Amino acid sequence: MTTLTEAEAPPPPAPVTPTRKPPRGRGRLVPYWLLLPGILWLLVFFALPMIYQASTSVQTGSLEEGYKVTWHFATYWHALSEYWPQFLRSVLYAGSATVLCLLLGYPLAYLIAFRAGRWRNLILILVIAPFFTSFLIRTLAWKTILADGGPVVGALNSLHVLDVTGWLGITAGDRVLATPLAVVCGLTYNFLPFMILPLYTSLERIDGRLHEAAGDLYATPFTTFRKVTFPLSMPGVVSGTLLTFIPASGDYVNADLLGSADTRMVGNVIQTQFLRILDYPTAAALSFLLMAAILIMVTLYIRKSGTEDLV
Amino acid sequence: MTKDHGGDVRLSGISKTYGSFAAVHPLDLTVPEGSFFALLGASGCGKTTTLRMIAGLEEPSSGTVSLGEQDVTRLPPHKRPVNTVFQSYALFPHLDIFENVAFGLRRRGIRSVTKQVDEMLDLVQLGEQARKKPHQLSGGQQQRVAVARALINRPKVLLLDEPLGALDLKLRRQMQLELKRIQTEVGITFVHVTHDQEEAMTMADTVAVMNAGRVEQLGSPTDLYENPRTTFVANFLGTSNLIEAEVDSKSGGAIVLKAGDGKLSLPEARCSAPATTGGRVLVGVRPEKISLTHADDAGDVPVGRNRITGKITATSFIGVSTQYVVDSSVCPEFAVYVQNIDRDPRLVPGADVVLHWSPAHTFGLDAAQSLLAGTAGSAGVETVEEEAAVR
Repeated sequence: MTTLTEAEAPPPPAPVTPTRKPPRGRGRLVPYWLLLPGILWLLVFFALPMIYQASTSVQTGSLEEGYKVTWHFATYWHALSEYWPQFLRSVLYAGSATVLCLLLGYPLAYLIAFRAGRWRNLILILVIAPFFTSFLIRTLAWKTILADGGPVVGALNSLHVLDVTGWLGITAGDRVLATPLAVVCGLTYNFLPFMILPLYTSLERIDGRLHEAAGDLYATPFTTFRKVTFPLSMPGVVSGTLLTFIPASGDYVNADLLGSADTRMVGNVIQTQFLRILDYPTAAALSFLLMAAILIMVTLYIRKSGTEDLV
Repeated sequence: MTKDHGGDVRLSGISKTYGSFAAVHPLDLTVPEGSFFALLGASGCGKTTTLRMIAGLEEPSSGTVSLGEQDVTRLPPHKRPVNTVFQSYALFPHLDIFENVAFGLRRRGIRSVTKQVDEMLDLVQLGEQARKKPHQLSGGQQQRVAVARALINRPKVLLLDEPLGALDLKLRRQMQLELKRIQTEVGITFVHVTHDQEEAMTMADTVAVMNAGRVEQLGSPTDLYENPRTTFVANFLGTSNLIEAEVDSKSGGAIVLKAGDGKLSLPEARCSAPATTGGRVLVGVRPEKISLTHADDAGDVPVGRNRITGKITATSFIGVSTQYVVDSSVCPEFAVYVQNIDRDPRLVPGADVVLHWSPAHTFGLDAAQSLLAGTAGSAGVETVEEEAAVR
C-alpha cells in the first residue's frame, strides 16, 4: 500500500536549477549588441580604408587634376616590375630575422617554461620590458650601438667577424651600420618578444610527465626534445614565426634608420611613394601586393606545418 | 622465465628526504621476479616516491636499487630496464595510439615494429583504435594504451602508479581483472602503487602496507587481513573492532584477557605483542567473524566462544549482509556484519544482544599504539578526543 500511495503522490517540484531555454525577446539580441562596437570599429578603421585604398590603386590622374577611377590595373604590373628587388629583400630580411628570432627565442622560452622556477615572472617581465619604450627610440639606440668605430664594431673587427660578414656581403668594410646586417639585427631585436611569448605559452602547456614518460621509454634527453617537446611546441613555433615574419616584412623603420639606399625594403618604398613622391596609386598597389604576397606565403606555411590549432 | 631470482627488485636501505622531511625512511624490500606486488597506503605515505626511485625518476637520498644482480641506483630512467604506467597515463598527445605504443621500441632502434605493436594492441583489445589519437579514446582505453606502451618493451619490472585512479568504480573493477590477466599472461613483475585496499587485495600476490614513509607490514592479502600486526594495518585493510584488555593468565597456548567485566581468549600465536600477566594488549576481531544472538537466547551460545554483551544502536541493510553497530561496555561502536541467511526479526536498534566469536579469529596487538591509526578520520585533535572517549 505504501508504495502505491507513493507512486500516486504528485511529482516533486521542478528543480531550482534554471532550465537552458534559448533566451527570448530582447535577451536574444544581447550578443549582437555586444558585438556592435567591435564591428563598427572594424568597419570604420579597417574595411573603409581598405576599400578606399583598393579604389586608389586603380585610379589615374595627377595631384593637380585630381585622381579618377579608371580601372588602371597596369599600376600593379608597373609596381611589381619596378620594385621587385625591394619585395625580394623584404622577404629575405624578414625571413632571416624570423629564423634568428626562433634560434634566439626558443632556448629562452624553454628556459622560462621549464627551468626558471621562481624567476619565471621576472624573466617574462624582462622580455616585455622593451615595449615600455617607443619602437623608434629603441631602433635609434641600435644606431648608437652599431655606430662606426663604436665598441661593437671594434670588437667584431678585432675578432675578424667583419671579414666573414663582409665576404658574405652583409656588411661593408669596417661598417655595420647601413648594411643588411644592421637591418636584420634591428628587425630581430624588435620582434623577438613576439616570438618568445607564443613559444613560451605553448611550451609551458606541455605536461612535465610527458618528459618523464619519454625518458622512461628509453628516450635520451635530446630525443625527448626532438620527438616530444618540439612537436608539441609547434603551435607556438608557427604563431611565433607568423607574428614575427608578417610585421617584419612590412617594416620600414629599421631599414630607414639602420640601413642605406641599398637596403630599402618594400615598406620604405610604400612610405616614400605615399609621403614624398605622392604617387598614391602606386603606393596603394604596392600595399595590396605586399598583403597578397604575405597571405599566400602564410597559407602555404600553415598548410605545410600542418597546424590546425594555432595558439 | 628464469627462476634464479635474476629479476628480483631489491631495495636496500633506500630513503628519500626533502629538506628535513623524510618522505621515505630507509627501507629494505625485495620484490620477487614474476610477482604482482602492491605498495598500499594513504596519500603522502611515500609509496609513489618509492616507485619513482625504482623508475629512476627520483634519486634516493641513501641506499641502492638493484634489478637482479645489476645496481641501477645511478642509472638515468632511459637506461633502466623498467617501464612505468603513469597516474594520468602521460600518453603523447601528438602521436597516434600505434606510435605511442611503438615509442619505446623505436627509441631502442628496432626497425620493424608493426608486428609487435599489433600483437600488443590485440592483447589490450585496442587493435581497431591504432590510428586514433589519445584524446579520442575513453579513459579506460587510454589506460590500456598506457599499459601496452610500457609492456611492449618487455621490461624486467612494470611499475604502475595509481593506474586506475582516474576511472569510475565499475571500470576500475573491470581493469583490475584485466591487469591481473595481463600480468599472468606475460609473467612480468608488476609493482603497483595504490591507496585502494580492495584494489591491492584483489590484484596483488604480496602487499606492502606503507604508513608515514615506512612499511608497516608485508604479506599476502589474506595474511595481512587475518593477522594484522599493527592497528594501522587492522584499520586500513577493512574494518577491525579493537578492544583494550588486560592479560589475566596464560594457559596451553592461549592468553586469557580481562576486558570490562568479561573474559576473552586469544591464541598466543596470534598475538603480535609481548603478553605478560597484568600487561595490556589490544584485542581485535573482524566484524564478519562475529555472530549476533538476541539476549533472550544467550543460553544457546556455545561454550568456549568469546562473548561480549551490548545493545544494538544502528543497523543497515546492504543486500548480502546486514551491518550492525553495537554499544558494549568495552567498545562503544562494535561493528558486526551478519550474512543475510536467516534474519532474526528481533535484532533491531535497542535490542540487547550477545556478540560471540571463535577465539581463533581473535588477534592481539601492542597496546602502545593509537586505536584509530589507519581509520578515515585519524588525524589531529579529533583522534585524541575520540581516543579519550573510547577509554
